[in-house]
Amino acid sequence: MHVEKQKHDFEPKIIAFVCTWCTYAGADLAGTSRMQYPANVRVLKFPCTGRIDPVFILKAFQQGADGVLVSGCHPGDCHYIAGNFHARRRFAAFRKLLEFVGVDLNRLQFSWVSAAEGGKWVEVVTELTERVRDMGPMQEFKELAMEEQWSGAINTPELQEAYNQI
Amino acid sequence: MTHAIDTSIYSAVTDAIRGEAQRILSEGQVSAVVGYAAARRKGSAQPIVINQADDAAKLIFTPACVNNLAVYLTKAKKEIPKTGKIGIVVKGCDLKALVGLMGESQLKRENLYLIGIPCAGVLASTIQPDKELTHDSIASKCRECDVHLPTGCDFLPSQQPGTPELEKRYAAEIARLETMTPAERWKYWKEQFSKCIKCYACRQVCPFCFCEQCLCDRNKPQMVETTPRPAGNFAWHVVRAMHLAGRCAGCAECERVCPMDIPLNLLNRKMAKELKELFEHEAGLEVNEKGPLASFSEKDDQSFIK
Repeated sequence: MHVEKQKHDFEPKIIAFVCTWCTYAGADLAGTSRMQYPANVRVLKFPCTGRIDPVFILKAFQQGADGVLVSGCHPGDCHYIAGNFHARRRFAAFRKLLEFVGVDLNRLQFSWVSAAEGGKWVEVVTELTERVRDMGPMQEFKELAMEEQWSGAINTPELQEAYNQI
Repeated sequence: MTHAIDTSIYSAVTDAIRGEAQRILSEGQVSAVVGYAAARRKGSAQPIVINQADDAAKLIFTPACVNNLAVYLTKAKKEIPKTGKIGIVVKGCDLKALVGLMGESQLKRENLYLIGIPCAGVLASTIQPDKELTHDSIASKCRECDVHLPTGCDFLPSQQPGTPELEKRYAAEIARLETMTPAERWKYWKEQFSKCIKCYACRQVCPFCFCEQCLCDRNKPQMVETTPRPAGNFAWHVVRAMHLAGRCAGCAECERVCPMDIPLNLLNRKMAKELKELFEHEAGLEVNEKGPLASFSEKDDQSFIK
């Protein structure tokens, strides 16, 4: 029984940073239970959410991600006792920083998905994918990456003239 | 109309720190004193390390004594046990940085002899070091200062600084940016960060940037592009703000040394404000072994997590 795959103009790239003990197992459960969820998500497995450095999220956006999902064990269930508590504080601070520099936080989702919550994984991934699809591609970081070195910008008539003479 | 700020106590403070430095050096209580001395241009000041009691007369304190001397102890921290106790001249903001370093086990209180300064404020810019300290020329950090009198020092001159109520520029600027839309804020920071030439002066001058190898210098894997292109600049400034979140003492040295005038302390102050709201943490004069991002509470807010 196959559902007809809907064609979309834009397929967002979603990077999911997940912890190996809960969310990865949860995603695995979704798979073994034959649940359907968007194939836009690229799962990266980490030992713990505490291992996920905010710079990974930044790097994901810079390398062309349209949305980022960070997911791990529920508070109190961490395999390493307190990794997710530390991660929770770090990400609370990091998302405030991203918001302040002008990143739309709708592209960044945090969640707790346990090894038994295959259904919740499907729900979280679907919701984020649809939300990012509506928002369109993440242009900001791509534009930054395309821009030239600041000293190479030809932004005055004199420079333009000199450039034309080369 | 510019109102002058009363800095008449600074000459008495200078005499007091000279006397104290002379005493502790000649008694052998410390092996060296880090302080400020007059530089070549009229009215300017520069950091100095003295180890002879006779040199104590070189020490000064003026509105041009802008540097945070704590940075000299972090870079040299490994030498301190060998060289014995070190005396250091500290303003309130510098003391916050030292306290932060003690909390991170970079320095030990018993290895330091703190000479506090009753400080009414310092200049925002030392381009004209002999300029009078006024409501306009005072550094932005001094406008929001809450430690004009550092506490817990080994020596503090008895003078009381005048502390006029001044308009808070960082708070006003943060409020202005917060009312913007994300796209406007992005545009603002993109413009600011595009000025960056990656000289890393902000990193060199920061007492808290003491990693022997910075994440941003590593190339396997390269997390942050090292060239001064917009993408790398953006990542550098976000990573810098994140690594200082909950640690920054607010000395604003990063902003002062920035040759391209990027409002770096604005990011630090924003993070300080958020961490205060989220985790009730503020850089202060009490040594905390765990900063806000090195500790946690089971009751932390998780409304943003699904």
